[in-house]
Amino acid sequence: MKYIFLAAFLVFLGLFAIATLTLKPQDGDDVVLRWATDPNPARDRQSAGFARANPGFQVVPETGDPTKLLVQCATGVGPDVMDLSEAMMQSMVQAGLLMDLTEVAKQHGFDPSKTFPAIRDALTVDGRQYRFPANVNAQAVLYNKAIFDDHGVPYPREGWTWDDFVAAGRAIAERPSKSGREHIPLANSYPNDLFSDLLVAHGGRYFSEDGLTSRLDSPEAVAAFQHYHDLMFKHRVLPTPEQSVAMSSQGGWGSGGINWFASGDAAMIMIGRWFILQAENFPGLRGHLAAVRLPRMPGQPSRGFTRARGVAVNARTRHPEAAVKFLAHLNSPEYGRSIVEDGDSMPPNPAMAKDGAALANPGVPDAAFHQVFVDAIRDAVPPDSSLFVDASQVRRWTEEALGRIENRVVTPGQAAKELASEINRAIARNIERQPQLRARAQASKARLQTHPEP
Amino acid sequence: MLPARSIPRFFLLCALGFALSAPFFWMLGASFKPRAEVEQAHIVPREPTALNYPVVLDLLPDPVTGVYLGVRFGRWYFNSIFVAMGITLFQVLTSAMAAYAFSRIEWPGRDKVFLLYLGTMMIPGVVTMIPNFQLMVTFGFVNTYHGLIIPAAFSAFGTFLLRQFMLSIPTSLDEAATIDGAGHWRIFWDVIVPLARPGLIALCILTFLGAYQSFFWPLVMLQDDQLLTMPVGMLRLDNSYGRQTELIMAATVMNIIPLIVIFVMFQRFLVKGLQLGGVKG
Repeated sequence: MKYIFLAAFLVFLGLFAIATLTLKPQDGDDVVLRWATDPNPARDRQSAGFARANPGFQVVPETGDPTKLLVQCATGVGPDVMDLSEAMMQSMVQAGLLMDLTEVAKQHGFDPSKTFPAIRDALTVDGRQYRFPANVNAQAVLYNKAIFDDHGVPYPREGWTWDDFVAAGRAIAERPSKSGREHIPLANSYPNDLFSDLLVAHGGRYFSEDGLTSRLDSPEAVAAFQHYHDLMFKHRVLPTPEQSVAMSSQGGWGSGGINWFASGDAAMIMIGRWFILQAENFPGLRGHLAAVRLPRMPGQPSRGFTRARGVAVNARTRHPEAAVKFLAHLNSPEYGRSIVEDGDSMPPNPAMAKDGAALANPGVPDAAFHQVFVDAIRDAVPPDSSLFVDASQVRRWTEEALGRIENRVVTPGQAAKELASEINRAIARNIERQPQLRARAQASKARLQTHPEP
Repeated sequence: MLPARSIPRFFLLCALGFALSAPFFWMLGASFKPRAEVEQAHIVPREPTALNYPVVLDLLPDPVTGVYLGVRFGRWYFNSIFVAMGITLFQVLTSAMAAYAFSRIEWPGRDKVFLLYLGTMMIPGVVTMIPNFQLMVTFGFVNTYHGLIIPAAFSAFGTFLLRQFMLSIPTSLDEAATIDGAGHWRIFWDVIVPLARPGLIALCILTFLGAYQSFFWPLVMLQDDQLLTMPVGMLRLDNSYGRQTELIMAATVMNIIPLIVIFVMFQRFLVKGLQLGGVKG
């Protein structure tokens, strides 16, 4: 038996030698930055662009899993630069894991004034800058003209209302198609994003001005939850969880939304310009893809929340100067051009996205398609968060509340009330436990007593 | 012919077998579907294609985009097998030695230490994630093969399994060997290890299967694309910009081939080893 162990050990040593000897060493003496980001084919082209524009520097994309980021950053070996959502930025700033960029951003030309107004507040925590966007995004409705033609339904037009949206959706669902195929009116890809845009449409907010109270139980927010419920169960333009599971071969609620639309099963999807990043994967959509702004409430403009994939710098990076250089690169025309060409949302530099023609690319050459996103980002509402509660928790709880509505466990009104209570309890708990939050809460209250919230 | 009373049980087992194997057949079917068909619920492809396999292996460009995926599937395959093999070798060796110490050698506080050792199995992995990772940082093991192999080279479960197994081997054998002048090292290698072979094989299989499929530790530990194991590398095929389900399924089919081969070859030992190990406490 010991000879079997010995043989296994020798085989292992042989494999170890092969494994280590075949590893490719790092090229030359370049400074190599690690960039935690999403698995996206555009990232390789973006890193190549950075290396071209900054000889002697490289940035290598790697998986940006949130848990991996937290574990690595907490132990001091995190990536040099990392993509973070608004939600995650806040908690990482509180943990002291991110570099304060306020001064260097001004020196290197990537302070918040250099990007779209609607996203500026989302780059800062407590007035200090911690991120710069790698791209910015506001949602619109993409629709498949071939499906509308198939059912004899007129295309959506700018300025359409939610009632028009429901009418179009019902017609897609009910009118027989020429091809004999049935179609889903709206592919529900991200329930949370749909809800947040409904919240904006109804004039609601997540938090009060001082961030000390959740506004998700306000009449506007309840109306948004009710609207979400009605789209699913009253108007039947949004698939229920059961329908989604039955239709999707992947079985996951919402996970197949993008693929339903891309494969010609759904007529519409609410999504950002980034959808076209992989348009080449979906040849069936070629020539049939069009965009229109989000539906609006009567008497209100069309608008939704702004979103951004912002890049932050690890407070313990070994290459702070190179990391700053990378963030400055994100505001460069060269980087902006790569975003335009790839269709990876909108470039962070507004000069690169001044109109639809500036955003037209070989995948979708129609300027009118891109103009929709230019208009959407112009009128978009800044993200709404509170210093007193972790935004990722709020997002998770909101998703759970939507899940309870989808599964008819609670009414929309009950869901809104329970969600607001849960958030308010968390705010109170955080303020009680964290002295620095207590001081901020008192300052906010004092400020509001002097300047009351309208 | 089945006896009448066995018929309901037969159908129940058939239904259970179907429920368990349906996802596997779905995966196999999806791996042969073209992209346009993969979201459709039918299991058997209408226009079957084997192209997904060479596309994943980067031998052919993606038929839809005309672009090579640029993933190092072969390297990840090698890494997974090599790392799983290393973990298995070291874990079985250390567990066997620890089991020998806990079952064959009398020393003060032995059973208390064993209980303490077993107690570590009750601590959820996520609780020890950051301390373990911090240790790896201190040792300079982050983003290396050793960082994957060494922490997994010791196992309370493996020790427990083999200790139970060794307790079932009569002590008279040790005594006879001792009279013949054998020390612990000799008894361990020449008496106990050969007799514990079914248990060792069972542990080998369980360890290899676990290590080969391990996802979270390699995800956190590895940064370099060249070092990735298959479960982590396959993330490259799944992103929020459009999932390439048919490629993921082709990769998954290739990924599980070693597991199926090992399971089919050693199934007998696995069941026997687990049964024997559970006889005596």
